Amino acid sequence: MKRKYGFVAVMLSAILVVGLGLTALYTKQEKAGEERGLKVVTSFFPMYIIAENIIGDSSQVSLENLSEPQTGCLHDYQLTPADMKLLSEADVFVVNGGGIESFLADVAASYPGLQIVNACEGMELLCEEEEDDHGHAHGDEGNAHAWMSVSRYMQLVDTVAGGLASADEANAKLYLENAASYRQRLLPLEEELKELKESVEGKTVVSFHEAYAYVAEDLGLEVAYTLDLDEERQISAGEVADVLGVIEEGARVVIAEELYGKEMGDTILGETDAQVIYLDTLVRGSYEKDSYLNGMEKNIRLLREAFTQ
Amino acid sequence: MEMFTVWWEYGFMRNAFFAILIITPLFALLGTMIVNNKMAFFSDALGHSALTGIAVGVVLGVSDTSLSMVIFAVIFALLLNKISRRSASSTDTIISVFSSCSIAVGLAILSKGGNFGKYSSLLVGDILSITGKEIFYLVLIFAATLCFWLLAFNKLNAISLNKTLAKSRGIRINLIENLFAVFLALIVMLSIKWVGILIINALLILPAASSRNIAENMREYHFFSVVFSMFSGMLGLIISYFTNVATGPMIVILASVIYFCTYFYGKKLD
Repeated sequence: MKRKYGFVAVMLSAILVVGLGLTALYTKQEKAGEERGLKVVTSFFPMYIIAENIIGDSSQVSLENLSEPQTGCLHDYQLTPADMKLLSEADVFVVNGGGIESFLADVAASYPGLQIVNACEGMELLCEEEEDDHGHAHGDEGNAHAWMSVSRYMQLVDTVAGGLASADEANAKLYLENAASYRQRLLPLEEELKELKESVEGKTVVSFHEAYAYVAEDLGLEVAYTLDLDEERQISAGEVADVLGVIEEGARVVIAEELYGKEMGDTILGETDAQVIYLDTLVRGSYEKDSYLNGMEKNIRLLREAFTQ
Repeated sequence: MEMFTVWWEYGFMRNAFFAILIITPLFALLGTMIVNNKMAFFSDALGHSALTGIAVGVVLGVSDTSLSMVIFAVIFALLLNKISRRSASSTDTIISVFSSCSIAVGLAILSKGGNFGKYSSLLVGDILSITGKEIFYLVLIFAATLCFWLLAFNKLNAISLNKTLAKSRGIRINLIENLFAVFLALIVMLSIKWVGILIINALLILPAASSRNIAENMREYHFFSVVFSMFSGMLGLIISYFTNVATGPMIVILASVIYFCTYFYGKKLD
């Protein structure tokens, strides 16, 4: 009888010690290498890459991204306790804006001291092509995937650099210099796009993600049909028929996203002789400085191949 | 020592702490009776009905879907009780039919237009969803459940032992059973948003089941169940905070560890 209570006490304290011990070990590893200084948090991948290039190697500034790299596009993203913790320690929060960060209003209300840099501020975004009848929550501000256009991406870089410079005046010069040199490296991409534009302008394409509207804008392409495929979208048979109809009318190239558009792309390949290319929407990837450059270069190569064939 | 204080600074963690402090003893109490009456499947179906409740709320355009969820769950529980009492086929078949039916309706409505993603946090739970208002409701339901337990536990116990015997003692079986189902529905619905549909049943069942492994009388049964439930709840919350894991699953993992420990200890006792 008494032994039972003893057993329970021993068991619970063992679980307590092991559980807390492992947790302490885990958090200790996390904390290593933490430094003080300006703390910049970005909302998702493209913003992180921009901030990374602007901040450069500065050791006084720490940069962290909110969502895991796998999260990708932020629609319907919910902040986790770790995100809240991160934001409560941050000085500057760099967001894309345009309604992609649906949680932004909550964040602004909870942390009034947090400086928010809105990259799309002052930019006129494209409107969503079709009536948004499937309730995809992009806010009311239209299509916010502006980073998909290289020239707009450069504007984003400038806006973020300006925002960071005014938030941290001590390093303002460094930020603006870094932004300028990053722009220099983006210029060849813009040139390439202009070159490609001359040969493809006016052609019609079908797009499987509204982000490609900006690619089409850069190249002067006409998007005949947008089927917004992403995380949780289930398509109906009627929509598939619509897409096939548009392709028969003359759209030779279908731009899709590998992760969510693959099955649909295969269907198109089987049913028609149109080209299907999988472009990176650049919302996930490795946290290297050149991720955007490399990803965009690959996209342009794929586009060129598809149109020259 | 810092470990026990840092998280206290965050409002959402304080809310979660109070919610767990209130809800785990309740789960433990109701769990004892669920395990005794072999109602595990019943409470599981009840959890799943949350999806339908929210779907109904969305269709009717109710601004607070929690309300439609609670109302639907209460109706669902009462209906389930009524039909399983009348029908000739076995209870688990009926519960299964009801449960799958309600999930199908819920999924069909919520996935319309392809945006089920909005609701997927319901499946694993989101601890940030606990608000001050919900804690207030939890306190109310805590008090009500305690009263119910003090007044009706002996009757419930009698029913679970032998229905005919209970009836002969003048116990109103239907009333007591329905009341129990309603309390169960209320508690499950108030905590489902942060525990998650997929695992809420484990929280109800595991502490009581572990306790049953080692307890020898009703008092011990309740005591151990409450201890296990609160222990795994508190520790699970703290661990999940530091390791960035969803809270509901962490609590259930701890409760399962306790279950297996008591299971082997209990076997040795026999």
